[in-house]
Amino acid sequence: MPKKILLVDDEQDLLYGLQMQLEANNYDVVTAANGQEAYDLARRENPDIIILDLMLPKIDGFRVCRMLKFDEKYKKIPVIILTARTQAADKKLGSEVGADCYLTKPFEPKVLLDKVEELLNKGE
Amino acid sequence: MVKRFKKSLPKINISSQLLHDFFDHIPDVIYFKDRKGKLTFVNKAHAKGLGLEPKQVIGKTDLDIFPKARAARMAQDDEFVMKTGKPIIDKIERATRPDGIDNYVSTTKIPHYDKKGKIIGLFGITRDVTRRVRLEKQREQKFIIEKKIEAQEELKKTKSDFISTISHELRTPLSIIKQLLSLIYDETAGPVNNHQREILVKVNNNLDRLKTTVEKLLDASIIEGKRLRLHYSLASLKDILKDSEEYFQNLAAEKNITLVYHFPKEDIHLFVDVERVLQIISNLLNNAIKFTESNGHITVEVELLEDKVRVGVIDTGIGIAKEDLAKIFEKFVQVVPLEELRAKGVGLGLSIAKELVERHGGEIWVESKLGVGSKFYFTLPRYFTTKVLDRSIKDKIREFLDDNVPVCLINILIVNFEEFKKRIRVGAQKLSQDLKNIITENYEQVFGKVMHQRERFFVTELHGKCTIILPDAGAKEVNRFSEGLKQSIKDYFLKYQINDVFIALGIMSYSATFTEGEAGQAFDNVNVKEIYIGSEMRRSKRINYKTNIQIFLPDETQETCETIDLSWTGVCAVTRKSFKTDEKLNVSLDLLRTKQTLTLPAKIRWIHKMDKLPGESIDYYKIGLEFEDLEIKNRKLLTKELQLNY
Repeated sequence: MPKKILLVDDEQDLLYGLQMQLEANNYDVVTAANGQEAYDLARRENPDIIILDLMLPKIDGFRVCRMLKFDEKYKKIPVIILTARTQAADKKLGSEVGADCYLTKPFEPKVLLDKVEELLNKGE
Repeated sequence: MVKRFKKSLPKINISSQLLHDFFDHIPDVIYFKDRKGKLTFVNKAHAKGLGLEPKQVIGKTDLDIFPKARAARMAQDDEFVMKTGKPIIDKIERATRPDGIDNYVSTTKIPHYDKKGKIIGLFGITRDVTRRVRLEKQREQKFIIEKKIEAQEELKKTKSDFISTISHELRTPLSIIKQLLSLIYDETAGPVNNHQREILVKVNNNLDRLKTTVEKLLDASIIEGKRLRLHYSLASLKDILKDSEEYFQNLAAEKNITLVYHFPKEDIHLFVDVERVLQIISNLLNNAIKFTESNGHITVEVELLEDKVRVGVIDTGIGIAKEDLAKIFEKFVQVVPLEELRAKGVGLGLSIAKELVERHGGEIWVESKLGVGSKFYFTLPRYFTTKVLDRSIKDKIREFLDDNVPVCLINILIVNFEEFKKRIRVGAQKLSQDLKNIITENYEQVFGKVMHQRERFFVTELHGKCTIILPDAGAKEVNRFSEGLKQSIKDYFLKYQINDVFIALGIMSYSATFTEGEAGQAFDNVNVKEIYIGSEMRRSKRINYKTNIQIFLPDETQETCETIDLSWTGVCAVTRKSFKTDEKLNVSLDLLRTKQTLTLPAKIRWIHKMDKLPGESIDYYKIGLEFEDLEIKNRKLLTKELQLNY
């Protein structure tokens, strides 16, 4: 069974490209373009890992992360924050809302793939 | 003297001896002038200010005893009083004393009438008000600084918003291009021939170039955005509190409030901006005094925590309503209606205190009950400093002093040496040698080539502590030497990409005439003159650590939450429950590597209410738990876990 990734970003082109790449690496990908959709999908689809942008319409990425991480049912799902926000305060907040990993854009596609694999293995 | 005095004031009914004594001993300058400006009487203080005896002054005019410009101004005032009959009261002027020290004086001049009501001269009283004027100026400056901080706060917010927008706009398309490019390059989107691949590599190289430029640009603007610079120095928290104690004791006494300070026995060393810490304490204490009724109590308590120190300001004041408590530190949010607020003068005090505490890497929080009182707490990171001078250096200095050779001493203390030593790609021995070389190079640039090092200067270096003894060196050279040293050390660490090293550079000189006792005292108090500083200080001995903990409260409820970091003395976690400071409880902790669950008694030592995210209504708290009475086997287990995770 391929692992399921929930990919959240409001940039359609990024979703398009990353989805293609992740699928080429044998992952199942579901995408969401805003925070509300991401939160709903996370609960409905129960993904193995979430790649989450921060500046999202409707619900902020930090909040999506916190809502999931403070919910007994979903707290085990690893969350990778993938964002253009690079300030130290944001990184700190990322760890405080429970994210497992914080990557900044522009990112090396290979680094993201490695992180996904690492976190999925850790969970097993 | 007595005679003349009697002559000029014959009709006064108070004992003339009493008046005479009064004029002789009052520190204010008192004088009488006739219509022509001639001094007919001066008291001792007047003459003493000029370095003369009263009889040498009497009969003279201001022009005879003061500089021309000043005398002319005084004559103008005299003329005004005697012509119009109107007194001049409390006129503040700047004056230079004969010993060259600038001070401020307040002058009062009153016309002197004869029996017929004709003006025959004037009396004058001049008082030294330097202290008062200085205090007023300080108060003004404090006000200006506070205004500036307010303005900076707003500017900073605008700037940081701007930066994050621009940053997002630049980074997002860049990352999309890079990612899409990799799809072609990896042949995910179909086969690529060698020629095409060559082109793609070039595209990618130039994207990387663009990426670097964007990063540099943003870094620069972020650094520029940090306008409020903290000027760190090594300081003792007790000294900071004691410096302001008298002022607040007086303030509290005026309202009949008892103010008590509780300190621990140990001296508490901090590495902070002293002015700012004083501002934090002042803001909290001013509030406490303002909102406490007479006969109330205020306690200032200092608690030592593992790697922090906690200051509490606890009052029996009016307290804060529960719904207001949450908002009290928020910027631009006011608890009381604006008009009322102005009347009470609260302003932005608490949000400034919060900003300053957080800039120092501390937490600030409040617990309060309406009608019962408020407890404000804040923490500051603590640094463990050893005595600055060890025995061998003291002995060496004493040797020189015994030979009547004055000694200048430069002390370099790398405050976070142990932390960055692990990150720097240089061995401990080479680091030590490099530092010694830097010192020698700089020394030679200022003092010339060294022939016999031991005779000219003397260096010890241990654990980031470095003391340089310079016998018989001039102050100018020493300054030049220390300036050069500062720059070289900074450059050295930057070369190794270490930009968060904290170095205290202190200069101290001992003259050969120091007495034994004086020298003994001075040895321990090396005056820290200069400090330069990197971007952020890392806390010691704590590691990032994500695991579950369960907190068991005394009322038998429990709370599960996740940790952020861990040390062998405590743990930091995020929770939705608001705890009470110093509440005792039990925690059970899942250790990830050693696969054990530890249950330990603990205490809530600090609380940080986290900023709300947009649209969020629940409060989250970061809490610092310290383990209590840790058993040896548990400590060992924690230490092992920490080592495995390092």
